Amino acid sequence: MALEQFSDVVQRCQAIQDGNFSSADFDLFQTVGQTCIEQGDSAQVLSIVIDEKNKNIVRCMGWNLLEPLVKVLLKKEDKNLPHCHAILTHLLEVCSPKELLVGLLEQIEQLDSGVIAETIILLLKPLQTVLLKLGRKKASSVGMALSTLLSQMVRLPVPLSKEQEEDDVFGLCRCCVELLGFVSPFVEEIKADARDSHGMSRENELRVEILKFCMKSLCEPLLEVQLKDADTLEKSPLRDFATGILVILNSIGESLPNLLGHSILRKREVPGFLEEEVRYPKESLASMAHLLFVQHIAMDIFPAVLSPVFVMQCNMEYIEVLLSSTEESRLQKGLELYEKTLVRLENSSLPVDLLDLKTFFSVPQHVIKVMTLSPVQNLRTKGLSVFQLSIDKLNTEAKYKFFRCMLKTSGHAGVEGYIIKNIKNQTDFALKPGNGNEWFLGKHLLPLLQQVLCLPQGPETDLLHNLDRIMESLNLLRYLLIRDKEWENETGIWTELYKIEDNYLKPLRTALNMSRAHYEAELKRNKENTTGSKSPVCTVSLGSEKIPHMTPEMQTQVLQSALFTFDLIESVLARIEEIAEAKGRL
Amino acid sequence: MAAEPTREWGDEKLKSDDVPKKDLIKFIQDNASHSFLAEQKLLGNIKNVAKTAKKEHLIVAYNQLFESKRFKGTEVEEVTQEVKAVKIEEKLKETKTDIVDEGPPKFTKTVLKKGDKSNFPKKGETVSCWYTGTLEDGTVFDTNIPTGARKKKQAKPLSFKVGMGKVIRGWDEGLLTMSKGETARLEIESEWAYGKKGLPDSKIPPNAKLIFEVELVSVD
Repeated sequence: MALEQFSDVVQRCQAIQDGNFSSADFDLFQTVGQTCIEQGDSAQVLSIVIDEKNKNIVRCMGWNLLEPLVKVLLKKEDKNLPHCHAILTHLLEVCSPKELLVGLLEQIEQLDSGVIAETIILLLKPLQTVLLKLGRKKASSVGMALSTLLSQMVRLPVPLSKEQEEDDVFGLCRCCVELLGFVSPFVEEIKADARDSHGMSRENELRVEILKFCMKSLCEPLLEVQLKDADTLEKSPLRDFATGILVILNSIGESLPNLLGHSILRKREVPGFLEEEVRYPKESLASMAHLLFVQHIAMDIFPAVLSPVFVMQCNMEYIEVLLSSTEESRLQKGLELYEKTLVRLENSSLPVDLLDLKTFFSVPQHVIKVMTLSPVQNLRTKGLSVFQLSIDKLNTEAKYKFFRCMLKTSGHAGVEGYIIKNIKNQTDFALKPGNGNEWFLGKHLLPLLQQVLCLPQGPETDLLHNLDRIMESLNLLRYLLIRDKEWENETGIWTELYKIEDNYLKPLRTALNMSRAHYEAELKRNKENTTGSKSPVCTVSLGSEKIPHMTPEMQTQVLQSALFTFDLIESVLARIEEIAEAKGRL
Repeated sequence: MAAEPTREWGDEKLKSDDVPKKDLIKFIQDNASHSFLAEQKLLGNIKNVAKTAKKEHLIVAYNQLFESKRFKGTEVEEVTQEVKAVKIEEKLKETKTDIVDEGPPKFTKTVLKKGDKSNFPKKGETVSCWYTGTLEDGTVFDTNIPTGARKKKQAKPLSFKVGMGKVIRGWDEGLLTMSKGETARLEIESEWAYGKKGLPDSKIPPNAKLIFEVELVSVD
């Protein structure tokens, strides 16, 4: 009987002096003890364990009983629970904290996904008790414990909808809430140390561990989480967790504004400079920025005196991090943060020298990528609206520089068309009385127009591919000729017109004629082919599926619509020539 | 050219208490050429000159002026920066001389407690302050002063580099006029605060005038 064996080994060990137990003793104690507990004899094990005579034995070997205890406690069978709890409590009091820590963490490290939440919640209080016993040397152990806990928690699925958060089927929300309670005494200890030594020491090891924990949490799970606001979900454990983390950061001397500005304020003579970079991962700070400015978490402890332009500079770093991802949720968060930061700025308030900063170029590039390439419609739409918002906040000179840059680098006809429309709006604005500026009128406008009014590949340019750009540029030209009177010539367009004719309008005519001839020939050939049946020259596959061939009818449609498009371009061109001729200039 | 000024006071009169230092300084400043004043170290605010110049020196200068006849209008006057900026005083700081086209400052300051009047922050230096911000109707929208049982030792004042555009303009401009230890009330017009937008997530509405009570704790 296992119970008898257990009594035997314990009695034998009572006689051994000074804890010189052999490894055989250890093994036997563990194996037999485990069997007893698992069999349901925990009451008897309890009475043996609390016996004063066995104090030494329990102190040395007791922690080996953790595994079976946890297993039984997780099963939640009423009969054995109180006894097992009592054994556990006793072990926590008597055994060495270091060994208990190892034992407890072992229980957490290799968990089946089904029991992660339950085990963590069961063991948090015992872990806390053990860590508090370690006194002044606890820092690295606290760090290890937190790291182990978090790495298991991130295996839990993140609730996405309000209902999922309420139901908390996998237990992530409960774990988060309990975790805050778990770290609370350590945070208080850090605060007490700061009071006693008149200031927060950056090298306080416990503080560093808590900082690492907060940074890690900001990344996982908080960056994955979609927080619901108070109107949608009144009591949200995830919101409480996010708030808790930011409050902890603030309490341990990491002021939120300083964290926000961390990426751009690099001038620090801190020894171990690389350590600094590791301590403040950009992704975590990006998560923090999103929590603050989009979800308004902990905004009541964030000072309301920072200038919106400074906040913009800080956040651009984090927007870049988020928009560099390929995951939809991160892109969404990046766009949201960008939008919320821009909205705080007055229109036309960002000066041109900001464009020299790397992020003020790279972020719009990322937004364009989302706008043009994302398969998710919401993201494309949002990307476009944020793109326009970002243009609106630039001052006039900055807008000019930005447009020139985008026309040079975007490589996408739709984006170019959009920029050209913006140029038209800016010129229209500048022509209104009192709004004149040197950037969208006169000498600076002309180089910009030269960039706009050109065919990238001369007369061989593919007109259909570049349609958006061409139409917008013709619209702009037509607008200028109508709006700017030749005797005023505020935009300089009238003096430039002959050049534009040579460099743009003539090649465009040529291209139109060539394209039209080509497509008409294709159309004719296509109509002749509907009678015979020819096997197509090539096939197209996507993934492993072959795309069905276009029917001759579909082909005809495509060719026809191309011809209509050329008609469209032609009509605007004709109108332009009409206006110019009427003023006797062409 | 104006006629030569008359010599009102004789030596006896000058040495007596009938002619106070300030009157003497004023006379010399009004009538002497700029270069004369510069040499005699008599440029600037009368009060300050009175503090530094001894009566004997002033009498000597007065006599020298009439001997050398270096009156205003007898030499080419050079308007130099020295005339304008003899001593950096609070008054000078409030009227920003390098803003060309913006008009008067969009904030007013009332000193509630005087500072040491010698430690003024310069642009780029780090300042620390306690503050409370209210709207015109009295609503407190922000403060870093701990209330209740929490001891002040635990909380830290807000630290930042002043004059660098990190905070709203009213703060950047206002703090540059304060000296260490000063507590002041800054009333900032919305143009130098959060303007037409306000701060949607704080309680600051659009076009809000903000009132801050600020204590400048330290300057590094």
